[in-house]
Amino acid sequence: MTVINVEKCIGCKICQKYCTVDAFVFNKEERKMHVDQDRCTECYVCLRQNICPQGAIEPVELVNFYKQFQHVISDPVENHGVTGVTGRGTEEVKTNDVTGRIQKGEIGICIDMGRPGAGVYLRDAEKVAMACAKSGVKLAPAEHTPLATLMPDITTGKLVDECHDYHLLSVIVEGKCQEEELKQVMEGLQQVAKEIETVFSLGLIVRTDENGETEALNCLDELGIPQPFRGKVNVGLGKPLSLA
Amino acid sequence: MTHSLHRSGTIESQKKDFNWFMYQTKGVNDVNIKPKALEFIAVVEALGSENWGDVKSGPITRYPVDYIRDHITDKSRLRGVFTKRSQIVEFMRQIKEKDLGMSVVVTGVLSEVLPACKEAEVIPHSINYSLGVWGKTEILPDDTTLSITTMCGHHMIPPKFVQHMIDQVKKGKLTEEEAAIKLCNFCYCGIFNQVRCAEIIQDVVNKDK
Repeated sequence: MTVINVEKCIGCKICQKYCTVDAFVFNKEERKMHVDQDRCTECYVCLRQNICPQGAIEPVELVNFYKQFQHVISDPVENHGVTGVTGRGTEEVKTNDVTGRIQKGEIGICIDMGRPGAGVYLRDAEKVAMACAKSGVKLAPAEHTPLATLMPDITTGKLVDECHDYHLLSVIVEGKCQEEELKQVMEGLQQVAKEIETVFSLGLIVRTDENGETEALNCLDELGIPQPFRGKVNVGLGKPLSLA
Repeated sequence: MTHSLHRSGTIESQKKDFNWFMYQTKGVNDVNIKPKALEFIAVVEALGSENWGDVKSGPITRYPVDYIRDHITDKSRLRGVFTKRSQIVEFMRQIKEKDLGMSVVVTGVLSEVLPACKEAEVIPHSINYSLGVWGKTEILPDDTTLSITTMCGHHMIPPKFVQHMIDQVKKGKLTEEEAAIKLCNFCYCGIFNQVRCAEIIQDVVNKDK
């Protein structure tokens, strides 16, 4: 946990410029800074950048599993304990040429909750995960994606109640569906997007043809969703190459 | 993570912004990766990758190249930036030729990346397409700030610090390039494009003159 040592703090407010989610709050009466613990994501940017001239920002032991989860997911330097992956702890398209997790006829759903930079309370991640599950997405298991460790049953997307009020810089809801289910999944996402207090960035993973083309996204036109112009292209140099 | 996927800003600006990645797969080719990583680094260095790094060490804008090289472990993940299409063509061509067996990803505007794949004679396997931002978008910072903060997909760059850097340039206390490097140093992965960042800051400062 990140705290301000009020004995050292002189209330200069320099730290406010360095917080990714505006969690440094000035107390006018005390003329000291405080960390809004509900808002802080434990991303440790303030600690790593060593920003306080008085050294008043201090780390305190992360007191429970959810605080540790919050830090490991919000700080990309950390490896997630189960997936072994840094960053937000998922593989998505990065090694799909080897793992073959997303195969022909399937669509990978990769929802970056809280991005760009808005942050996400896990209660909102739960809403989106449940909407995905309801619309036909098979959510990724805990060995593939960290959020699933908080789901007692990945067929529903529901998270354990204890985690709801933890705020993360971002977390990924990940899963896949069949191509023919994509339209209903997108309709589910259009609906749940109106029900959350934050944002998400959406990625769709597709096995393309040899020209990098696909017809799988044609249904976006019917839904009035612009066709993507930007992508993360796995160029198929990993070995052994998955042809699935 | 999809930290290079959802960059924002004008398409023309994004066309000068490519990210390259080398990935090992857990349980398949994730042991003793250092020799392959060093071959990878030799290629991107020779091609003038403007920024690169290892999330476990940091970016070259902050740490010496030798330090990053020396600290490569099996947990490392190498990634970086090119600003010209010709660089990614040559990058893919050379990495294919070396046949390292590691997964390689290139992120960017597809109308640039896909023709580059063809030119380099590599065959795209899968693509993660960016469908943009959904939800309560009114809580987001302005477009200029986002075009800079989204270059660190993990969002280690505080929006208020972006504004601070732009103000410092406006006041003549920093050049665009100096401000871009300060912003770049928040991104541990090395995928922040400081060249594009300096151009964005320059545009904003010029508009306000």
